[in-house]
Amino acid sequence: MTFEEAQRELEEIVQRLESGETPLDEALKLWERGEELYRFCKERLDAAEGKIEELASRAESAKP
Amino acid sequence: MKVEAIEYGDRKVYSVGAFNRGVSSWLARLPTVWVEGEVTELRRSARWASVFFTLKDPQDGSCLGVSMARGQFDALRLELADGARVHVYGRPELYEARGEFRLRALSLERFGLGDHLAALERLKTKLAGEGLFAAERKRSLPLLPARIGLVTGNDAAAKRDVLTAITTRFPPANVLVAETYVQGPRAAGAVVDALRALCREGVDVVVVARGGGSFEDLLPFSDERLVRAVADCPVPVVSAVGHEQDTPLCDLAADVRASTPSVAGRLVVPDLAQLLERLGRARAGLERGARRGLERERRRSDGAHERLGRAPRLLVERGRAKLEHSAGRLRALSPKATLERGYAIVRAEESIVRSSKALEPGERVEVELADGGFGARVEEIQ
Repeated sequence: MTFEEAQRELEEIVQRLESGETPLDEALKLWERGEELYRFCKERLDAAEGKIEELASRAESAKP
Repeated sequence: MKVEAIEYGDRKVYSVGAFNRGVSSWLARLPTVWVEGEVTELRRSARWASVFFTLKDPQDGSCLGVSMARGQFDALRLELADGARVHVYGRPELYEARGEFRLRALSLERFGLGDHLAALERLKTKLAGEGLFAAERKRSLPLLPARIGLVTGNDAAAKRDVLTAITTRFPPANVLVAETYVQGPRAAGAVVDALRALCREGVDVVVVARGGGSFEDLLPFSDERLVRAVADCPVPVVSAVGHEQDTPLCDLAADVRASTPSVAGRLVVPDLAQLLERLGRARAGLERGARRGLERERRRSDGAHERLGRAPRLLVERGRAKLEHSAGRLRALSPKATLERGYAIVRAEESIVRSSKALEPGERVEVELADGGFGARVEEIQ
């Protein structure tokens, strides 16, 4: 799963929940799935941020 | 003409006069031709029937004595100065009295700047007709040449100007210099050879540089061989020959024409400082862009996450409220609650009394209250 796919699914879940037409059992299942997707996205973002810091510090040390 | 020889035994010997006469008659059979050269050592005297001068080859310095009938020469009113370029029409001749070989001029024409210009113009028209100077042939210069070829005279100011301009803008430039003749009869061929040698060595662009000079000095750079070599060069050529107003044909055939050697130098390399600055800006932009993109995604994820739990929590709350409501209603329907509000249940013979008509005065009834009950007797019916 890519970050974009996870993000998109998470937003679809939020939309379905917010429509207010979801039965409770299903809503809880969707919530659980949503949390899972959020964790995945967050991990990816944290990793990306770490990479940015690494590149930035490398660029800094490479400055003439 | 019969040349008499004296015979000494088996040896035939000629007198000087006979030898000269013999050579002279042989030379006289040669055809009449045009010869081009520069006039030097012009000698004219009213006492002489002929004028004399030496015709010099400007390219290799070869000399040829020329004589011309004085009346004929004077009639031309050429007023030839030393070094004047002329075309002489004549035939070879031996001055028998002195055994001197020379050209006997029958006619003489000044061949000057105008003629050079005309010849140049003819060549220009011809090469332009072949498309050698066409704009669509021009190639653009490499942005960052790995190696630059420079064709220039040895120890020429032009060389210094090009190198200074290149290293000022782009200190790490790699320049391969081919020093060659840039003037005189060997220049055209030498420049062609230098161009080819540089291309064999592997360069990305070639600068041909020569400082200013007289019209004739720059003539090699309009030589057909040189112009064709520039046009056919496998890598782009920058030509900086002479000054702004000179336009040797190699300038026209080159991919880029520079007004001076310094300009040529600046054209072939980028400005390193500027390049680094641009690169730095691009890198900073890259980092900013990456951070901005990351922040946007994070806000998006966090936003979705915040909304994610809201709806299910609300559903649970709503369910709970509904449940409470139902429980309330349930409780309200139980008789106990009614009794608590002060109502009583009256039973007669174990069944609930729902109508006063079901009772008789004096009949015993059981009365149930919220916290217990008591027995009673009916006094009257209303």
